[in-house]
Amino acid sequence: MTTGVTETVARARALPGAAADRRLLAVEQLGVLGGQIGAGVGNLAFSLAMARLLDPSGFAALASFGALYLLLTMPVTSLTAGSALDPALELRLLRRTVRAGIGVAVVAGALALPLGELLHLSPVLVVLLGLAAPGAGPLALVRGRLYAARRHRGLGASLLAEPLGRLLLGGALAPAIGATGAALAIVVSGYASLVVARRAVPALRPLAPPDRRRASSVVAVFVLLAVLQNQDVVLGNAVLGGGAAGLFAVVSTLGGIAAFATVTVPMVLLARLREGRREPLGVAVAFAAGIGGLAVAAFAVAPAALAGSLFGARYADAGGIAIPYLLAMALLGVARVLAAQLSGRSRRLPIWLLAGPALLQLGLVAVIARSAEGVAEVTLGTTALAAAATGAAVALDHPAVRRAPAHALSALRSPAALRVAGVATVALVVRLLITRGLWVDEASSVAQAEMGFHAMLHNLRTTDVHPPLYFSLLWLDIRLFGSGELAVRLPSIAAGVALVPALYAAGRDLYDRRAGIVAAGLAAFAPQPVWYSQEARMYALFMLFAVIAVWGQVRVLRRGRPRDWVLYTAAATALAWTQYFGLLLVALQQAVFALAAWRRPATRGPLLRSWAVAGAVAFVLVAPLVPFAYHQFAANQASGRGFGSTPSQAGVITGETHPGLYAFLANGVWAVWGYHADATMVDLVALWPLGMLLALFLLGRGWSRTSSLLTASAIVPALCLFAVGQSKSNLFDLRYFIGAVPLLILLAARGLTSWTPRVGARAALAVVFGASLLAGLVDQQVNNDNPRRYDFRSAVHAIAARAHPGDVVLYNPIYLAQIVHYYGPGLDLRSVRRGVPPRTGARRVFLIASFFDHPGIAAATRRTLHALERRRHLVVRLRGSNVRVWEFR
Amino acid sequence: MSRRPDPRLGRPTWACASSGVSVCRRVRALLLANVAATAWYFGWLLDPVRIGEPVLYALLLAAELFNLVQAIGFWWTCSRAHSRPQPPALPEPPEVDVLIPVYDEPVEVVEATVRAAARLRGARVLVWLLDDGDSPAMEDLASRAGAGYIAREQHEGAKAGNINNALAQTNAPYVAVFDCDHVADPVFLEQTLGHAADPGVAFVQTPQYYANHGRGGIAAAAWAQQALFFGPIARGKDALGAMFCCGTNVLFRREALLSVGGFPTGSLTEDFELSVRLHERGWRSVYVDRVLARGLGPEDMAAYVSQQLRWARGCLSAIGPVVRAGLPLRIRVQYLLSTMYFLSGWTLAVYMLLPVVRIVAGAQPLAVSSASQFLVHFAPYYALALGTVALAGAGSYTFAAFSLGCACFWVHVVAGTRALLRRPDRFVVTAKEGVESWQPRAVWPALAVVAVLGAASAYGLASRPGPGTLNSIAFAALHASVLATGAAGALRLRRRATAEPRTELLPATDVSRR
Repeated sequence: MTTGVTETVARARALPGAAADRRLLAVEQLGVLGGQIGAGVGNLAFSLAMARLLDPSGFAALASFGALYLLLTMPVTSLTAGSALDPALELRLLRRTVRAGIGVAVVAGALALPLGELLHLSPVLVVLLGLAAPGAGPLALVRGRLYAARRHRGLGASLLAEPLGRLLLGGALAPAIGATGAALAIVVSGYASLVVARRAVPALRPLAPPDRRRASSVVAVFVLLAVLQNQDVVLGNAVLGGGAAGLFAVVSTLGGIAAFATVTVPMVLLARLREGRREPLGVAVAFAAGIGGLAVAAFAVAPAALAGSLFGARYADAGGIAIPYLLAMALLGVARVLAAQLSGRSRRLPIWLLAGPALLQLGLVAVIARSAEGVAEVTLGTTALAAAATGAAVALDHPAVRRAPAHALSALRSPAALRVAGVATVALVVRLLITRGLWVDEASSVAQAEMGFHAMLHNLRTTDVHPPLYFSLLWLDIRLFGSGELAVRLPSIAAGVALVPALYAAGRDLYDRRAGIVAAGLAAFAPQPVWYSQEARMYALFMLFAVIAVWGQVRVLRRGRPRDWVLYTAAATALAWTQYFGLLLVALQQAVFALAAWRRPATRGPLLRSWAVAGAVAFVLVAPLVPFAYHQFAANQASGRGFGSTPSQAGVITGETHPGLYAFLANGVWAVWGYHADATMVDLVALWPLGMLLALFLLGRGWSRTSSLLTASAIVPALCLFAVGQSKSNLFDLRYFIGAVPLLILLAARGLTSWTPRVGARAALAVVFGASLLAGLVDQQVNNDNPRRYDFRSAVHAIAARAHPGDVVLYNPIYLAQIVHYYGPGLDLRSVRRGVPPRTGARRVFLIASFFDHPGIAAATRRTLHALERRRHLVVRLRGSNVRVWEFR
Repeated sequence: MSRRPDPRLGRPTWACASSGVSVCRRVRALLLANVAATAWYFGWLLDPVRIGEPVLYALLLAAELFNLVQAIGFWWTCSRAHSRPQPPALPEPPEVDVLIPVYDEPVEVVEATVRAAARLRGARVLVWLLDDGDSPAMEDLASRAGAGYIAREQHEGAKAGNINNALAQTNAPYVAVFDCDHVADPVFLEQTLGHAADPGVAFVQTPQYYANHGRGGIAAAAWAQQALFFGPIARGKDALGAMFCCGTNVLFRREALLSVGGFPTGSLTEDFELSVRLHERGWRSVYVDRVLARGLGPEDMAAYVSQQLRWARGCLSAIGPVVRAGLPLRIRVQYLLSTMYFLSGWTLAVYMLLPVVRIVAGAQPLAVSSASQFLVHFAPYYALALGTVALAGAGSYTFAAFSLGCACFWVHVVAGTRALLRRPDRFVVTAKEGVESWQPRAVWPALAVVAVLGAASAYGLASRPGPGTLNSIAFAALHASVLATGAAGALRLRRRATAEPRTELLPATDVSRR
């Protein structure tokens, strides 16, 4: 193989110009990659062999050992990167790494028992881990020198020696002494690889004066990358139960393929960094992305079958989880290349850009991930963040971007842009801290999006009441990331995070930069944007498009440029395709256009012409929605459901048949401070005299046309729905005018930044208001008495944990079917409408019920309970947020 | 003062006439909604089933009805507001005596007034400095400025007596009166004499503009109150023929003045009572809604309180004369509305009392069963009433102005009590320049009420927290916030360096073209 590569290199050198350069670089990458893939295949073969030779707990222990070994060797392997950039690093660090490795070995030996307890590993494995340490540093350093000297043949030999040794030695020892034998094989093979590499390394020649600090920085960057790649495995093993940990071990092994395959790509790049050209970066990115993409695509063909055939049938479930994890590792491969490139330019920037995702991953896995799926999703999110951050930094450094108009560049690099990026990151973190499971509407959306695309559209047309844009996005999302809790919420999270820069841009354009940044800051943790960013429904998109539509309209009315009309038309159209109630805002906007045309005779002609064109375009774009909506309406009328088949939560006071002023106030409080327990809401609404104070505060304040338009855009749709709610109370619901929320945030930001000229007073106002939002957010997110919180996840998991084959799960009301199926796919589910099963029909009967505030549903639940009590006896009664479970025998 | 630019020499930043017509139309448009909301609220409130604690209910009802009357008066007045067109100039420039009464004001303040008066165009002007302080410096000033100097041996009747004394010694057919701190524009007479050409017109009043409204919160808030009055209210009163004289920046027909025996000397608001007498005699008044003189308003709380106390005392004392006067009903009602405004402090006292009683004693004016319905009926009325004020004031009436008035609620209580007891008060000249020290004594009643409201709220939270108590605490917080905002000006050390407004010197030639 290496001979072939040498010939190809020789041919490539004969080609002229940049094409030759790229070809040469590609060939170089390909050669090293061949060795790495060979090593990877060998390692995979070793894993497969061990998966079959060891029992699940042994294999999980080996996977955990492997991950720790990687965690030990990867930071040290990061020395490879440093050494590739500065070969003299070996001279400086060889002794120190050996000493440090011996120190690690001694500590591991001394603390084998407690460390084993802590890491859920046997003490022997801990000792073996320590024994591997002294060889890891020298191996990494010498490989770096091989990269720097372009000794690809010796490098390939060293790479292949390791899996070969593992297979031979592990195959012999594992059947005899289990995981310990396999681990011993791993350790010994590492030393064998060192010997091979050492034999190939050339004598060190003096090069240009090394940049020691840069080499150290590269080492730090690759340490962080190693942490990002491996800490989820270690944490997963600690926080997940035995079965889930084993499942994730399989997933991580599969993901490791993509990660492993791209390890060499940045090393080759680093060796070329001294040349100061950009071609190596393009080739390296293409290689990393291509290899990662190939791995994902190859596995996505038949994930369950592949996982089952590779790891045994009991791990077939890992297939679905492995796709997002493979994607995560593919993204990590790209991030590695980008971080390597950045390391050549800046010492600190890549470290900062990678430290954030690494910390986020640590926190999220430790705090919220409680399943193999969850850990995989967290890793996907954080590696995506790392790739995006490093990619953006590299892009900003690109000559083409540097040649961009000065104002655009300065805008991108401005402190304000950095602040917005920071706020958006905070918003992302806040939105990832999800504290609740799915509820019925989300489960319904997921069930629909899991269908084939045409089947989904048909289902929407015949059974649903919403337009198809969000569902189409969810459909795509599920195809890419699966149906896990986090995965199905990704479109909403993305829209919720995008709301932050959108509000900044709108605030800066409509008012000033200060208003924009405050609006963005408030949106990052305002309760409603957070809540609906964490819900697998269309409301986060609703908010995003509403802001852009209003922003676009103001731009149109101010300047009326074609690009403003395009922005407005696109946002308004998207709004219509997202939520039918968005049309209330669009209709109001048309009235505003008409008013503007009437009141501005000087610009009436151009405005009317542009309005007509935009209207025609919007009509064409929305036209397909008309028959769709009509079909939905007809189908719902025919089935007797009408629009809104699930109960509303409009804040209607018990005993009232339609929303009154208090319901309106409650929705107003929700809009700003989020959802809270009923008792809290009663207290908050009792504070309405403070609204009088606010009205007095507004006396004499300037109220610009922009603010008037924003206010009308926020309030008029709500008032319309309030009026409609008098006959159909379930339609007056904050969700249906959720577009008002970001507009209120924008108005609040304007108020906070312009209320008083005193900086201190403005800051105090912003802090007080922000603190009230934060308090609202915390209560909304963690208070189990929040009436919008439905803990179906815990309830169904509790049933699943207690249920046995032959047991029956009854649910009420009818629309709990999808949510119960989502969390308990193997359960025998029946609606209470089918009646109570006879004693002979089921061993045990579980009843899960919700929506107790709706008399009809509550009565049906009571009837079912009576029927069950007549025939069986109650064993267990469970109670969660708005969900109850009864178990009968 | 002398080291600072004189704000009276700058351009006015308020254009009363420019926002008139469209605002008036909007107010009229809101009238119908106001009537509906009022009927909705009072129809509900007056239902006997709403009665909770009878005494408290009676107090609440009285306060609400009083404010309703004031609100209706405001809507009526503002809905009639108009702006007079500029009349043609007189063919022959008449003689005008310009009277500038002084007492013990600084010479620097008076000098600009006298010199501006001497530059008045459109008439043969004779400026008279009416010195009630017997100050040689004033006599010297008059001599230097080419003005006449009139002093008297006996200083009876305060400002009114001073002017009457001058009237007896002068003889021009028209008399312009300026307070000693009001610098007239050269065009003052050109803009007012045309209106006075109508032989039935007794006086032409122009706005009393506070040029120093940029000098701190109290000056700004006091001016915001003035702006509401000299904006929609004065324009409406003019349309209804009920504009009264404000004592400065006014042009009189001497014949009219003499017909009622000059300025009444037994009143603290001699200008107001003079207007009543003139209207009673069938004379008419005119209001020109253009700033034609720039004066100084109160800059500190003590000066503001002193001014308000004098106005309140004078106007409340005038209720009797107004009731007894033979005025047309429309004008009589307008005068009563103006005088009775100074009773509104009593209603504030009632509103502030209610949450305290509710928290401490558990008693409330409305029946418990009605409490949840209160907001439904009250909110539209409140929102529309407040919206109308905001609209009519065209943004000039601010929260600071409202809270300053509320913080002086006790002034109305004191003035009303003294008027009721017929206690005599003496004329106090409003200070022309603010002091730079704290003035907690000027707002101690408001601070005491804030303390009571705070204590009651703390007690309520500690003793019986719940929605009802929280509602009362929110009301208490509302009142306390308003009072504290209003009183804050007295507790803040004035910093001249930062409070100084930007002053643009106004050349005399520009004035004529404006």
